Amino acid sequence: MASWIPNVIHMQSEFIQATWETVYMTLVSAVIAGVLGLATGILLITSQPGGILEDSFLYGLLDKIVNLLRSIPFIILLAVIAPFTRYLVGTTIGTTAALVPLIIGIFPFYARQIQNALTEIDPGVIEAAQASGSSPLEIIFHVYLREGLPDIIRASILTIISLIGLTTMAGAIGSGGLGDIAISIGYARFENDVTIVAMIIILVMVFIVQFAGDWLAKRLEH
Amino acid sequence: MTENIIDLKQITVDFKDGENRVKAVNDVDLQVEKGDIYGIVGYSGAGKSTLVRVVNLLQKPTAGKVIVNNQELLKLNPVDLRKARTKIGMIFQHFNLMKSRTILGNVEYPLLKTKLTKKQREEKATELLKLVGLASRKDDYPRQLSGGQKQRVAIARALANNPDILISDEATSALDPKTTLSILNLLKRLNRELGLTIVLITHEMQAVKEICNHVAVMQKGKIVERGNIEAIFSTPQKPLTQEFINVATNVGPAVEKVVKNPSFKALTQNQQLVQLNFIGKSTEEPIISTLAKQFGVDGNILFANVEQLHDETLGFMILVLTGQEERIKQAITFLQENQVRVKLLNQAVESEANG
Repeated sequence: MASWIPNVIHMQSEFIQATWETVYMTLVSAVIAGVLGLATGILLITSQPGGILEDSFLYGLLDKIVNLLRSIPFIILLAVIAPFTRYLVGTTIGTTAALVPLIIGIFPFYARQIQNALTEIDPGVIEAAQASGSSPLEIIFHVYLREGLPDIIRASILTIISLIGLTTMAGAIGSGGLGDIAISIGYARFENDVTIVAMIIILVMVFIVQFAGDWLAKRLEH
Repeated sequence: MTENIIDLKQITVDFKDGENRVKAVNDVDLQVEKGDIYGIVGYSGAGKSTLVRVVNLLQKPTAGKVIVNNQELLKLNPVDLRKARTKIGMIFQHFNLMKSRTILGNVEYPLLKTKLTKKQREEKATELLKLVGLASRKDDYPRQLSGGQKQRVAIARALANNPDILISDEATSALDPKTTLSILNLLKRLNRELGLTIVLITHEMQAVKEICNHVAVMQKGKIVERGNIEAIFSTPQKPLTQEFINVATNVGPAVEKVVKNPSFKALTQNQQLVQLNFIGKSTEEPIISTLAKQFGVDGNILFANVEQLHDETLGFMILVLTGQEERIKQAITFLQENQVRVKLLNQAVESEANG
């Protein structure tokens, strides 16, 4: 065992710490970016031409913001928004500081996924709800979010998996987590076993998310 | 005079089509009496779907007044408009059921915003499903049902808030003839039992013939002809109306076949090919035998069809009259005097032969 993972064997507590940091960054940014992205996605679908709250100005604005933010490579986004991160959190180092770029990096992606998922809903069903006297809020909660749930869950899985990837990139600027260990210890000190174990832990996390999400989406589909 | 439950005044609906503005509905008036079943017929693109969506303001008109149940809908605020909409049920060509909800859940949906408790909602929805004959399927999901069953569920859903009006937007167009008939019979029953006013739009005159009391024919955003069903069927004024009726009564295809048949190309001077339309009382008289007895004109029947519309009987017949030319003319005058509409078809045969 020691010959296979000569360095990792002495770093158990660091690995536990790093795994926890990755889980923390993923979960917190998933929740916050999830709310932001869901709201943005719903606003996109309802304000688009022909939507239930048609508003060409709002739609144009959101559409451009989402496109713009999605165009910035994440590694550059990390650097560019560092002053903003310092202003919000007081530092640019550590897991909490990493939340800011993670959220800004992932929510436009999620918003677009939500928009796509909700576009799949038959407009006739929306029309039927309108004809029965439903308000826009009722249509959002009782029709869009309910009819679109399986697709929303699929979009969420995709987003969380992307997010896990982004947390490792944040390691490059000292966020902590498995990415940080893999780069600053495994890669920088030529301790390959550290890099490989970090990767395996990340793969396990991805599989768990994928499996749980697929199971849930399938269960909700009729 | 009965009260008009729907009163559309000078409705115009414009659509932007690139640079152009297209008038989907052009200055149309429409009145529907309470308790009536009113059909709106037209080919696709005639504007009938747009017009009917104005009734619950799913489509806002560019100009005009919409009065439903004595309320001017365009003057209502959003909350009151939604309340008014609960009294206007609507069913669609593609049913538009929610696939994430059970049959019961779909029928319950319009009740979610009411003050009813969950138990009361379920009771009401179950009762409605009984009305449309699907109570046993209440825990199934829409994809487990056939088209006709889905439309029954959609009807139950449309009735959830006890509406006064039901709008049927091509509701039978995706169904086979037998299922269509059963849905139309259900609508007729609901009209009778609940006093429901029904506005039915369709491109099939057959559907109209089955249940409507009044009918309007639309073309290019205008109502070109309207009236009670007997009048429209017996004496259609416009070519388009005639076309729809010919299809519904099978007279159109029959005339076409006869006209194209080579054996009628050689009609002599003593023969006349005619189409007769009988209305009401004239169907009960032995007209053909009278022609033979009184004028010495023999009638050879090539096609005949009798339609029953409410209390009125309409007859359609294609005949070859054989006799002296003068006598045939007298016979035709006699027919016309007896409220039989006569259309001479010799010319049609000739033009077919020459063309």
